[in-house]
Amino acid sequence: MSQLHTPQAGDDRAVDDDVVGLLMRQHGDIRNLFDEVEASQGDARRDAFRRLVRLLAVHETAEEEVVHPFARRATAGGEGVVEDRLAEERAAKEALAALDGMDTDDPQFLPRLKALRTDVQEHARAEERYEFTHIRRSTDTAGLAAMARAVKAAESMAPTRPHPGVRSGAANMALGPVAAVVDRTRDAVRRALGKAD
Amino acid sequence: MTFNPLEQRGIPLDRQLRNWRELNVEPIDPDRCDPYTRCRIITMNGIEVEAILFSHHLARHTADPEIKQQLARSRYVEAQQQKAVNWLLPGVSSVLETTIAYEQVAVDLTAWVARMEPDPYLKQAYQFGVLEDFDHLYRYANLYEMIEHRKAESIVDNLTEVMPGRPTKYHHRDPVDNVRSPYDRATVDPLSKLHALTLVASEQQTMNYYMNTGPLYMEPIARQLYQEIGLIEEEHVTHYESLVDPGETWWEQLVNHEYNECYLYYSFMEQESDPRVKAVWELHLNMELEHLHVACDLMRRHDGREPQEILAPQLPNVLTFEPNKQYLRELLDTQMDLTTLGAGYVREAHERFEKMQEGIHGGEEPPSERVIAEHHEMFGREYRVQTDGEHPDPAMREK
Repeated sequence: MSQLHTPQAGDDRAVDDDVVGLLMRQHGDIRNLFDEVEASQGDARRDAFRRLVRLLAVHETAEEEVVHPFARRATAGGEGVVEDRLAEERAAKEALAALDGMDTDDPQFLPRLKALRTDVQEHARAEERYEFTHIRRSTDTAGLAAMARAVKAAESMAPTRPHPGVRSGAANMALGPVAAVVDRTRDAVRRALGKAD
Repeated sequence: MTFNPLEQRGIPLDRQLRNWRELNVEPIDPDRCDPYTRCRIITMNGIEVEAILFSHHLARHTADPEIKQQLARSRYVEAQQQKAVNWLLPGVSSVLETTIAYEQVAVDLTAWVARMEPDPYLKQAYQFGVLEDFDHLYRYANLYEMIEHRKAESIVDNLTEVMPGRPTKYHHRDPVDNVRSPYDRATVDPLSKLHALTLVASEQQTMNYYMNTGPLYMEPIARQLYQEIGLIEEEHVTHYESLVDPGETWWEQLVNHEYNECYLYYSFMEQESDPRVKAVWELHLNMELEHLHVACDLMRRHDGREPQEILAPQLPNVLTFEPNKQYLRELLDTQMDLTTLGAGYVREAHERFEKMQEGIHGGEEPPSERVIAEHHEMFGREYRVQTDGEHPDPAMREK
């Protein structure tokens, strides 16, 4: 692999005024992190895996709070499409939680990670093809931008990468396990959308 | 021992029909496959699509109902072969990922053909064409990082470099200048016929793919880039198909098609790293041997000639997917500024070329330039894979 680094969504200079474009770039960020975990070892792998867990938790939670409810309401047949995606997300979260409790040097870790990666990738493409297309079709630019802001708010409340000046170890400690990340993300999104807890 | 398809018998035609279970092939893993396995799949899909389309055209020029039926029988099997081959591609790949794989095929297939081509005029046509596909790969790779935040090296795996070739904006030539002179079927090396047919099929499939999948994108720059490069693929089909001697009879062409399929399935069977895919190449070779025999019989009956007169005495060296980095760097160093004039090549931008450029660009930067500018805006750099050093042309180095 070359030395070129693809920054995560939010760190590039995209305007991020379209929730679908933003989420598609996050899908790529997730795949990049899977690559990084697979290619690294020891502490580097542990660190990359922590970042993957956080990004997945934040991304899926943001989708559940922002995108799925919209698709359910706004599109014909949206209910069924969203149910399928939620079932995939539940399965992925269970696999993620099981992996989260595992030592990244465990011989079972990589085979399980590979299975999770396949599931996550299929889920992401299904969203792009069966859900995101409807969202773009049934939303105006203001709606797409508002949803993008909510997803970015989730990101900023539960950062998925170390911020300048913060050592990643300390950031990890502050974030805690998957469930806590999910809770914090959900709160952040609801505040951004102007909903009461 | 050399393999002579004319002396081999395959699976009898009446035993070639496959049921749904047999057609339901397991796709390759897009993240872990050998990139050249995917290239072989894409190549053979293009070859099968051409086989089907050619057979339809032939049938439309055939009055005899019995021959129409015979063509229909072989063609149906070919349609099944196309399904079994192309369905090896995984559903999780995006259109853009498959596009990047198509361009990797175009680069490494055309470069190999150019290296092996014995005829200097045909060789020049392939050298000219490959620098354009090479540039398309670079444009799509930049689009890919913008839309999916992924690097094209996760697809091409450093086997093929990604950097500018002849800039895409200069590929828009007056259509008249895309027509080359044909080889002479009586004197040309039989291998040259196979090369031309392979590249016609491959570019035709790429043209069809872009013209149909381009509008699936919603991002304006993606839609526009597919439109631009899709038009160039049509120029490439014109460029390569005009190399084929139009004096070949329909039956002669049919034999060449079937022989080429045998040649390519045999080649890919010999080098395939994925055992499951290798089994497909082997099965299809055994089917094609029978299609070749049917075609040879038709040629004997209708042309009153022996197929041996037009075919090589033995199968040529296997066509191989392998890195062509040094070869491409030599071409980048020497042929970047070529364009076509009539059936030949020149270095200066002649009047007809300039007029076409003015007309199509309308005083604006085309999508192929804007995609790089937009990528730069987003990442502060370009996307390139230069495993073997800087670009050979200093003017093409990243600023």
